[in-house]
This record gives sequence, C-alpha cells and structure tokens, in this order.
Amino acid sequence: MNIIELDNITKTYGSHKAVDDLTLHVPKGSIYGFIGPNGSGKTTTIRMIMNILYPDNGNIKLFGQELIGSRLEKVGYLPEERGLYKKMKVKELIKFHGELKGVADLDRLADEWLEKFDLTRWADKKVEALSKGMSQKVQFIVTIIDMPEIIILDEPFSGLDPVNAEIIKEVILKLRDQGSTIIFSTHDMSVAEKMCDYIFMIYKGKKVLDGTLQSIQEKFGSDTIRVQSEMGVKAFDGIQGIERVNDFGQLQEVKMMPQTDSQEVLKAVMAKTRVLKFELTSPSLNDIFIRIARPENNEDHE
Amino acid sequence: MNKVWTLIKREYRAAVKTKGFIIGLVLLPIMMGGTFAIILLTEDNVDLKSKTVLVVDESGSVGQFLVNTAKDRNQNFITDKETGEKIQPEYFFTLVDKETDFDAQKLTLSDKVRDREIHAFVHIGPDVIHQGDDPEGSRILYYAENSTMDPIKNWVSGNANSYIRQVRVKALGIDEASVQNLFQRINAEGMGLLSIDSKTGGVKDAKKSSELESVLIPYVMLMLIFMMIMMSAIPLLTAVMEEKSERIAEVLLGSVTPTQFMLGKVLGGLAVALTTASIYVLGAVFTISKLDYGELIPYYILPWFFVYLILAVVLYGTIMAALGSSCNDSKDAQAIQFPAMIPIMIPMFVLLPVIKDPLGDLATWMSLFPPFTPMLMLVRQATPVTIPMWQPIVGLIGVFLFTAMSVWAGGRLFRSCIIMVGKRPKIGTMIKYIIKG
Repeated sequence: MNIIELDNITKTYGSHKAVDDLTLHVPKGSIYGFIGPNGSGKTTTIRMIMNILYPDNGNIKLFGQELIGSRLEKVGYLPEERGLYKKMKVKELIKFHGELKGVADLDRLADEWLEKFDLTRWADKKVEALSKGMSQKVQFIVTIIDMPEIIILDEPFSGLDPVNAEIIKEVILKLRDQGSTIIFSTHDMSVAEKMCDYIFMIYKGKKVLDGTLQSIQEKFGSDTIRVQSEMGVKAFDGIQGIERVNDFGQLQEVKMMPQTDSQEVLKAVMAKTRVLKFELTSPSLNDIFIRIARPENNEDHE
Repeated sequence: MNKVWTLIKREYRAAVKTKGFIIGLVLLPIMMGGTFAIILLTEDNVDLKSKTVLVVDESGSVGQFLVNTAKDRNQNFITDKETGEKIQPEYFFTLVDKETDFDAQKLTLSDKVRDREIHAFVHIGPDVIHQGDDPEGSRILYYAENSTMDPIKNWVSGNANSYIRQVRVKALGIDEASVQNLFQRINAEGMGLLSIDSKTGGVKDAKKSSELESVLIPYVMLMLIFMMIMMSAIPLLTAVMEEKSERIAEVLLGSVTPTQFMLGKVLGGLAVALTTASIYVLGAVFTISKLDYGELIPYYILPWFFVYLILAVVLYGTIMAALGSSCNDSKDAQAIQFPAMIPIMIPMFVLLPVIKDPLGDLATWMSLFPPFTPMLMLVRQATPVTIPMWQPIVGLIGVFLFTAMSVWAGGRLFRSCIIMVGKRPKIGTMIKYIIKG
C-alpha cells in the first residue's frame, strides 16, 4: 500500500520549473531516499508533500487521501535549514512542539529523548547556547516526538559527527521497524545506498531514478571495474575503451565504454603495474549520480 | 484551536518573561507623563538672577514710572512673605539718554545684552501717551535675546499700559477711582451641561469644564492605545520576518497551518497589550482614587477603550504579520515599516483639531474611517462633548468588518509569503496572492 502518492506534480517559480510532471509512490513502512544535486527540486517536492507549498498541477495523496489544505497530522518534518526559537530552553522547546502535535505525557517523553541523545544536562539551557550538532539533535527530537506515521527528513545527517549520525540512523531504523514510513534527502550516497529501500533521484525538476538500489544498478549494467594497483590512477593512462576514471586515491572506479572487454583492460593494466584488486561491478550510486549530474550533462540540458 | 492556544501561550511568555517587558512597562508612563512632569517641575524653577534693563524714554514719564515701579517691586514683591525667601529676581530699570546716532546707540546696547552686561533695553516712543500722526512714535520696543518668551516684556507692557491709562484718564479730568469699573474684565467660564442624577432623579448641576476633561483624558486615551499598538502590533513585522529568515516558520509549519501560526502571533501580541493596558488602567484608577480625585475617572470610556484596543491590535497586528511574512531580511522590514505605520500616525497628527471640535466634519468623517476609528472615535468619546450614539456603533461595525477582512487578506498573504525566499514581492504581486490565495 502506498502511503504517499504524487501524480503528475508540477511547480513553477516564475519561468523556472522547479518540479516537472513528477509521479512518485512511496510504499508504507519503507525508507525512501531523495537524492539530486543542489537546486534540483528535492526540497520543493518535500515542501509540497508537507502542504507548505501547493503544486501548480497534479495530485498529492497522503494516507490515501488528497491534501485539502489542512495541516497534516501524524507527519513529522525536519526541514533542510534548522529553525528553533533561540531564547527558549531546550526542554521547554521540545514540550512546546510536542504540545503543538498533541502529544501526552510530554515531560517524561522529553526527558527520555534528551537522555537518549546525551542532552540531559542541556535541558534547562537556552537553545542559543547549543552547538550546531546539538541543535540538530534537538530538532530531530522535535520532529519525531509524536512518533509520526510519516517522517520527512531534509538532510538529517548534515553537520553531525559520526557518533550522533549513528544515533539518528538507529532511531530512523527503529521508527521504520515500528511501522513509520521515512523519506529523507541526502547528499551522502553511501548513506542512501546502505539505508534506503528505495531511491528517487530528481534532476532539474524531473525524476531520473526511482526504485530499489538493485533495480537502478541493473539498469546501468555491469560496466564498471574497481581496481587497486601499485601505480594508482596513472595505470589507466593511454588505455583504450575507458570512458571515465573516478579516482579515490587507493582505489579507482572505472567506467568502460560499451563493448569494452573488462579482461582487455585488466591485461593492459597488468602490463604496466602489479594489480592488487580487480572487481567487475555495477556502478555505485555515487557514480550513477555523477553520470547523471556531471557538468557536461548540465550543458546538454541548458 | 488548541494549537493556536499553544502558540499564544508561547508568544505571551516570550514577551512577558523578559527584562525588556518590565523595563518597557515602567518606561512607558515615564515617557507619556515625562513632558507634563518636566513642565510642572520647571514651572516653579524661576531664574533668580537680577535683571538690568536700560530704558531710552522719549515719552518723558513712562520710563521713570517703570524705574519706580521696579524699585517698588524689588522691595515688596520678590520675597515669600512667610519665609522671607527670595522667589522672584530683582529688576533694575535705568534711564539712559537717547543719543544723536540712535542706531549706533542701539547697536552698542545690543552688544551689551550679548555680553550679558544688561538683560535687555527698552525704547519708549515719544507719542505713547497721546498718539500722534506717526504710528512709529507710539510704540514700545523691547530688545532682548529671546524677547518673545521673556516675562519682563509682559511686565513692561502691563505696567506701561497701566500708567498710560492713568495719565489719559487724568487728562480727561475724571477721578480715576470712579472709573475703575471701566477696566474690570470679566471672562466667560466654561461649564459642562446639566443632567439628571440617576440616584436621586433630580437635576444634576453642571460641572465646571476643565482642561483635564477636555484635553488630558482624550490625550491619555489616545497615547495609551497608540503605545499599545506600538508595543504589540508593530513589532510583529520584524518578529515574523526574523522567524521566516531563521527558518523557525518552516519548522512550525510542519505542525500548524499558516493561518494558525499568524493567529498565534497576533493573539499573543493582543494578550500582551491587554495585560499592559490593564496594569496601567488599574494602576491609574487606584492612584487617582487614593488621591481623592475618583470622580474624574472616566469609567464610561473604559469598555470602549478595551474594545477598540482589541480591534486595533488584531487589525494592525495582522497587517504587520502579513507584511513581515513578505520580508526576507531587516532591510526589507525597514523599507516597509514606515509606510505601514502611516495609518497609526495620522490620528496623532489630527489629535488637536479633533479634540478642539469633536463634532466637526473632520473629526466625524475621519473617526468613521475604519483604520482610524479605534483611535479617533475613542478620542471623540473621551471628550466632554456628547457625540451621536450611532457614530460609535457604525464605527465599531466598520472597524470590525475591516479587521475581519484584513485577517482574511493577511492570512492569504501570509500563507503565500512565509516560505518564499528571494526578492520581496511587489505590491501588485501581493494583491495577486491575496486574490488568488
């Protein structure tokens, strides 16, 4: 069952089409990752789902019902940019947002969440005294305090250290296990690959990817090799049949041209240097992202 | 509604629980009463330094009379009879001869005034007692640095005229004592109107009208409602702008509708205004009653005051919140704040003509124009003049409808603008948002 349904959504700002004829169905209980370059339409799509912006055309259904301009209950939303009342105390702020969402037993709940995120000693401090990472944790608590059925997180991991990112990841997975549906946007492709059941990519307002990681990778075929050699990226100089080399320093991800035989490439590299690792694989999400949104594609589109 | 209530509570606490609120609460009456207090305090503060005035007298006798009268005043009228304390400065009047080059003499005397050697000098024309053909000859000219406000000028004028009158009466061969009545001036005294006493049923005598009733009460009422609007409605423009630019609005819009958000802010501001106004009104009633001036308290106007206050704060609060939602930074807010405040300033500019003639066309029509009604109708009702009852009622209906319309339009504008980033929309675009929603 789809809990969120967007059908042929269009949103225009002046002459700029921010979202162009977008159709997207999010199954209940899934984690759906929204990826795309800056300014591609992710936040606009999220704001339309949240009923903050209205689409020019198309329908949006949540819980099987059309949005009718009323506020969404049972939906938690963490916007891209954090916005908290700086002069309020941390616990007071959590309780204020909880009250707006009609949550009972707020005192206990607020204490529990503060403890979980190691913020108990900051409970009576003003928000302005918190670091960026701490504010983000507070904002995350505010988003999920009512255990909403749909949770929409715009860049939930940005600015967080690995420890706190791990806590938030655990909470997201736990919420999913308890039945919540989670949408989150991210620029971190490895997070999207590891966490998301489905990945949706929007580029220049249009949907360019939508499905499981596996189905997306299948679409792009096994045209990629990962090579670790003693020469590094220089090992690929002058080798035929290579479209692009993505150099990670210790490892190179190589996209081959169509009809290129990976064995021929391996032979050519081995003739130059000692190969430590060679793997024929599907392109990573990061590579797929770059293939779609790289500058030459921008020029094509513009 | 629960959500609006939560928002109101937050707004109210955020405003009231600050030091700024307490300081504002104290400063406001000081600002309002400050001018009056300074006038009252400085009224008794008389400059006791002696004043020397030189007199060039061409009349032959007026100058001498002034010299003598000043001497008499210095001996008998400048000390407090009970304490013997000096309460007025001494005036030293000295005659000087007119020189051939009179312009040069006047210039020299002027320099003496500038150098603080003398306070002023007077030129009494030759024909002041019996006027001749040349009007220039029958003038008394008082030269000083600030002659318009100088009390000695009035003293010279009063005494010179009194002397001239004596001389003229004497010249007619009449005994001065027998014509004293001729110069007895009687002023008309301002009275209120008679009414029926509700307790006894008898006719209640008219009260003597006072400046307090006709000027001070309307003035205080207007200042109070003006200050409440300035304290609670106007700041909403920058508050909403800040919450928009700091993305607080977007977070809240995950939980509440734009209309609930706006209502929370406006009604929170209203709660603050009502608290402040109640503190002032109760404080004033208590103090005035303690001072035994209880009968001066205009109780009849207080319900009207609170009704107008509620409508004015909601009206202007909504407009300010909606305009604030269209701004992205403080520059935008500054640019829009002054024009937005004009409807609140206009009633202040017309305060005097309205108090002077509360039944005049200007007062009547302006007070029926909804944006001005809360302030100007209140001023008219606070004066001792009875204004036709239909006017406050029509004014109230008008301002109620106008407020409802503003809340509707402001809500639509707010909803459209609160998330919008980039350039501030132009007026035409804003109107489009209001019409299209």
